[in-house]
Amino acid sequence: MSKFLFVVPPFFGHISPTLSIGASLLARGHEVKWLGITPLAQTHLPEGGEFIYPEADLAEYQDEIQRILKRQDDGPACSGPEVMKLALEETYVPFAKMMMKGLNNFVDRWQPDVIINDCITFAGALCAHLKGIPSVTTTPVPPDVMGDTANSAPKIFEWQQNLIKGLQREVGIYSDDIHIHSHQLNMVFTSQTFAGFEEKPPQMHFVGPVKGRPNLAPFDWERLKQVTTPKIFVSLGTLLVDIRAAFFQKLITAFENQPVTIVAATNPDIFEKWPDNFIVNGFVPQSELMPHMNAVICHGGFNTVNDTFTNGLPMLITPIAYDHFHTAKLIEQAGCGISIRYKRLRTDELRTTVFELLENPKYREAAQKIRQTFIDAGGNDKAVQLLEDFAKTTRLETV
Amino acid sequence: MDTITTKMSREEIFDLMKKFITEVIGEEFVEEMDISPESSFTKDLEMDSIEIVSFSEKIKAHFGEQIDFTGWLSAMDLDQLINLNLGMIISYIEECQS
Repeated sequence: MSKFLFVVPPFFGHISPTLSIGASLLARGHEVKWLGITPLAQTHLPEGGEFIYPEADLAEYQDEIQRILKRQDDGPACSGPEVMKLALEETYVPFAKMMMKGLNNFVDRWQPDVIINDCITFAGALCAHLKGIPSVTTTPVPPDVMGDTANSAPKIFEWQQNLIKGLQREVGIYSDDIHIHSHQLNMVFTSQTFAGFEEKPPQMHFVGPVKGRPNLAPFDWERLKQVTTPKIFVSLGTLLVDIRAAFFQKLITAFENQPVTIVAATNPDIFEKWPDNFIVNGFVPQSELMPHMNAVICHGGFNTVNDTFTNGLPMLITPIAYDHFHTAKLIEQAGCGISIRYKRLRTDELRTTVFELLENPKYREAAQKIRQTFIDAGGNDKAVQLLEDFAKTTRLETV
Repeated sequence: MDTITTKMSREEIFDLMKKFITEVIGEEFVEEMDISPESSFTKDLEMDSIEIVSFSEKIKAHFGEQIDFTGWLSAMDLDQLINLNLGMIISYIEECQS
């Protein structure tokens, strides 16, 4: 049995798949812990797992952490190049620096066999490299979001490289190689087909969506049973708080009195009254709900994208910022949905697009094909097998 | 494509760019904007990468090999991209013509 440490960012979309794999590892008898820069409620953790929040080692950074978290609200209003700066320069790199002390201390104490870092949580791989611990990277979104900057935008590539090398030097890694991700195993939670990769680097493994994290959100299943019109699931994910009201107002204008039922995951408090054909809950058991739906509208958060195509449903994606545009491009390439950029979204177009998705079978058929590639990728079983083999091989190498 | 024989003035280039932008992002969204040479591409016009690509294609279709707009863009760093405005594109096209 092995000890696995997941190093995660304060963004639930990135934590979520690690909770699912962690649950499978715990069920197999391994020891699993998580470490992050903000606390995580115990209810999210699979039984037997522990979340480490190195409070004392993070004390001096509290104001800065809160400022950076608040700054994420500006994301939706930022242009592409501004988002690149916001993400790498203002968020990932500073978070990595702040996490190092607490992470190093905990790793010395607990001595994990494998450190698994999320792809934007560089501290995990850096710490593993410094201490000679085998490391794995988890990537919840299709890789290659920024494209081939080395050739297409050399100055942007240079900026990325300089930031990362600067971070590495600051934590004591004086190498021209990049060590923010594992060079041995990078697990990606989508399929190679959907990600649009003809070839892949040898360390990259597309394991498809993973599931099984605890989600205790209640839901009025009786009400859903009485619904006779097509059901559209709508989610904006856990970020993007500021634009919530505007987004749902457009949905109300488009679908009030229409022969559809909107099942929305958002805080109902944003409006005093919702139309009768809207079922709105702050938190929903999304994976359990999805098989009952007929189509999905979302901005492109990757866990919702995975839940949608795991169930072979067509999607209207309304990309807002970050990697949403890349995901929207992949969906249109696969033919399993339609993309309308959030900033150019009109209510009449919103309505006609949803009816097109419901009535034209080609989107559902394409979604079913993606579903099959997800199943073939292996999911939790494949991820666990890769991790167990990795732990075994690296242990033999160090003996 | 027609070959461009006469040199365009700044005003003519501006009108042409405005026409391309309208075609790319849609008339109703342009109506809400006050497009001027100071309009920033990413901030004011809120163009995303897909829209910038189709805008580049229109420039290429109109001017042909004479203007390497995509090459010009790809040589920029992040701050240059963030601050890119319509006036800079007009100047670039003007220079390419001379």
